[in-house]
Amino acid sequence: MTPGPVVRAVLGGLAHRRAQTAVVGLVLVVSTGTSVLALGLLADSSAPFDHAFAAQHGAQLTITIDASMATPAELAATARLPGVIAAAGPFAEVTIGLEHGVEALGPVTLAGRPAPGGPVDDVVLQSGHWAAKPGQVVLSAGELPPGVTDGTQITVTGVPRRLVLTVVGVADSVTGSAGGWVDPAEIASLRAPGALATAQMLYRFRSAGSTAAVRADTAAISAALPAGAVTASRSYLAVRAQSASGIAPIVPFLAAFGVIGLIMSALTVANVVSGAVVAGYRRIGILKGIGFTPGQVAAAYTGLAAMPAAAGCLGGVVLGNLLAVPLLARTARAYGVGSLGVPAWANLGVAAAMCCLTGIAAVVPAARAGRLTAAQALAAGRAPRTGRGYAAHRLLGTLPLPRPVTIGLAAPFTRPARTAGTLAAVLLGATAVTLATGLSTVLSWVVDGLTHAAAEPVQVAVPPASAGAAQRVIAAALRAQPGTLHYVAEADLRLSVTGLAQQVPVTVFRGDAAWTGYDLISGRWYSRPGQADVPSGFLTATGTRVGDTVTVTAGGKPVPVRIVGQVFDTGSAGLTIITGWQTLASADPGLAPDQYDVGLRPGTSAAAYAQALSTKLGPGYGVGAKDQNSRLAIVLGLIGFLTLLLAVVAGLGVFNTVVLQTRERAHDLAVFRAVGMTPPQTIAMVLCTAAATGLAAGVIALPAGVALLRCLVPVMAADAGTGLPASFLNVYQGWELAALALAGAVIAAAGALAPASLAARSPAVTALRAE
Amino acid sequence: MGPSGSGKSTLLNLIAGLDRPTAGTVTVAGQRIDMLSETGAARFRRCRIGVVFQFFNLLDDLTVADNVLLPAQLAGTSRAKARARADELLAALRIERHRDDYPARLSGGERQRVAIARALVNRPVLLLADEPTGALDTEAGEEIGELLLDLNSSGQTLVLVTHNPEMAARYASRTVRLLDGQIRGDAEQVRGGTAPARR
Repeated sequence: MTPGPVVRAVLGGLAHRRAQTAVVGLVLVVSTGTSVLALGLLADSSAPFDHAFAAQHGAQLTITIDASMATPAELAATARLPGVIAAAGPFAEVTIGLEHGVEALGPVTLAGRPAPGGPVDDVVLQSGHWAAKPGQVVLSAGELPPGVTDGTQITVTGVPRRLVLTVVGVADSVTGSAGGWVDPAEIASLRAPGALATAQMLYRFRSAGSTAAVRADTAAISAALPAGAVTASRSYLAVRAQSASGIAPIVPFLAAFGVIGLIMSALTVANVVSGAVVAGYRRIGILKGIGFTPGQVAAAYTGLAAMPAAAGCLGGVVLGNLLAVPLLARTARAYGVGSLGVPAWANLGVAAAMCCLTGIAAVVPAARAGRLTAAQALAAGRAPRTGRGYAAHRLLGTLPLPRPVTIGLAAPFTRPARTAGTLAAVLLGATAVTLATGLSTVLSWVVDGLTHAAAEPVQVAVPPASAGAAQRVIAAALRAQPGTLHYVAEADLRLSVTGLAQQVPVTVFRGDAAWTGYDLISGRWYSRPGQADVPSGFLTATGTRVGDTVTVTAGGKPVPVRIVGQVFDTGSAGLTIITGWQTLASADPGLAPDQYDVGLRPGTSAAAYAQALSTKLGPGYGVGAKDQNSRLAIVLGLIGFLTLLLAVVAGLGVFNTVVLQTRERAHDLAVFRAVGMTPPQTIAMVLCTAAATGLAAGVIALPAGVALLRCLVPVMAADAGTGLPASFLNVYQGWELAALALAGAVIAAAGALAPASLAARSPAVTALRAE
Repeated sequence: MGPSGSGKSTLLNLIAGLDRPTAGTVTVAGQRIDMLSETGAARFRRCRIGVVFQFFNLLDDLTVADNVLLPAQLAGTSRAKARARADELLAALRIERHRDDYPARLSGGERQRVAIARALVNRPVLLLADEPTGALDTEAGEEIGELLLDLNSSGQTLVLVTHNPEMAARYASRTVRLLDGQIRGDAEQVRGGTAPARR
């Protein structure tokens, strides 16, 4: 085989069929880009924590010590225990309230550390400098309230004298050992009179790969210290699980979109490439007529598809990486791991897969074309095969619709294989649109269910110093404030639960709290003293079910609590209890609310309400309005973007099909024009051809998308360690379903518009003259 | 009339509004059609002009009746009216028995009759025929020639393009001779004569 003529034939073909070449290249750019992006995100979804943990020598165990019960020597001795490979501490710690202006920032645990580095929990300074002297604080990036930056002054609450700290830096601890760090000499002044003096010790172990191993390590440390010295412990596995709970739920969605993207790309590429070869039959006949061998023809037509495909693959890899940068940068920043990128194997794998796919799609029709005789190829290239679609034309011609519409609707039946390929690609695109729409709604509901931002958009923190008087002031202000619909006092405790090693956050409401936005998965909302609702995580951790009773310890007394409902909540890995005031008040007479949750009348702006209430209450009362969840915005943006890319691939598939059809039917279109079909009628006819296929795809895609959502969402919830309220699966409104059924038609019509307009503008006389 | 490449078909396409002149104007039935938009030209064509092509240009996936009905349907003629007119033409052109057949099943002469019926369905003021017998055997060519003559005799204005002087002499009442895009002769004549009279 001589390469010269083949190369010249390829180059000539590329120049002659610029639209086709551009479509092959574009489809490959978009589909490769989508696949690289999806695979890159999938690959990096689990990596950041492990990267950061290794880089920062994260603490596998953080224990809190009652400093009065263990001497520094005893603590230092734990570093030499068998199994311990590194230890840091003791770092005195204190939990305090902070205020920024009139806004209460909530309780924050500050640790006194002389420097960020160390053998364990090597804290990464993201900005500013370390707290070198009293009066300075470095805040954890994860605890950083809006508006607080380096140089901001924050006030410590709950201490006898007014104390102001200046934020001098922002740092990150992968294991979240503290919410902030101060000079060790500062801790004593921050501790409230009579408060327990505590310190933290950080450890890394030889064996800490499982919960059991970490539990054994904890037991060894506890045994080496005086009884009761260890007041709390925290495993890095819990931190990792909590970290993954933010990312894990989107992994199934990314996987689904990646698979849809790959199948769509395969279909579209096969359709485009085989269509390009079929459209070139006449040229193939000419090449064979001038002496090309079957092998040369096959090579020329494989090359014709392969060259733009290879360029498209390359462009797609670049596009996928460029798109992944901003998405991964946020994750990388959050974990302090510098930068995350799409792994090389993902780039190479996707590019290789796409090239193979294109090669197979091109070689089969090219080899078939090579076997045709010159006369056959010329005959096949002159006009599409007739004999198909007669019945459709006849049947549709009887409909009371304009003739261009019925002719357009019947056209897909003349090329059933190509129509099937286009239909499948649009079907997948429309399925992605249906899935994405449902997923966006579910995720919005999930976030509302987790943040309660819709039900209780405003919170008022109760100043700890004057709790009784402050409660009366807040209640009066809430009653008087226009826009108040409900309010309820809430106390947040950490209590021991029989059977659990660590203390569990307990939310206690004083008054009716059924409106606070906890979605029920099963059972009912508590209504009597001694009843509680818990999330799925609690049931899993304690091995209990709705109807069982657990014992919590409040005020040093055991309190039996009957679980009456399972609520949707993933905070603290779902290990929380929600109950009423009467359940714990008798056991803990000192129970006092920490905050008030406020529900607003419809149409009331939470921000304006919070501002007005804050002004009314004056300084010292923290009034906050919950804002939009930034993670939700990222995930919704990602869903929207991937859906758009998939819709573009589907649209390009349609574009290519319509380009082929209008070329093949150039003569028929010219005849239509000659007998008086106007350009708008021509556009309508071509659009109907595509839209009919798209509509059929949309109608099939609707139940497919709904079914996929119903499969995917429970998997996503399970990955986040929670059940899901049944209502979360009924996401589609009637009007939405009707609109989504049209998604395929819209994608197809968008893809067909440009070639339809071109067909309507091209001079009829050229095609007629070719006769 | 003129040899291949003389510009006959181009002239016909200009008259039909299918092509646009690079210079000069085209006025048909008092209307400047070179000034019309594509949509305007299409409307002019379907209401005022009928075109018959050498290779019939029927649409293979439409039946004979549907091919004939098409210009009427595009013009928005009511279904009943269009069907009545199509039936009338199919009967007049003696192809009513092929009403529901597809063009591929018809002979060349029958196909050209269908094309003529299609061209006449909107009652055009001007019928253009580009070598209407060029793709037919002698017998079918004779038949189509007679048919066009009958139409012309019944009042249908007809512009026919041919390279065949015999055909021009036999069927035309006026012959314009073209060569290399230039008019080289324009003569009225008595049909059936042998030599067109020069003007």
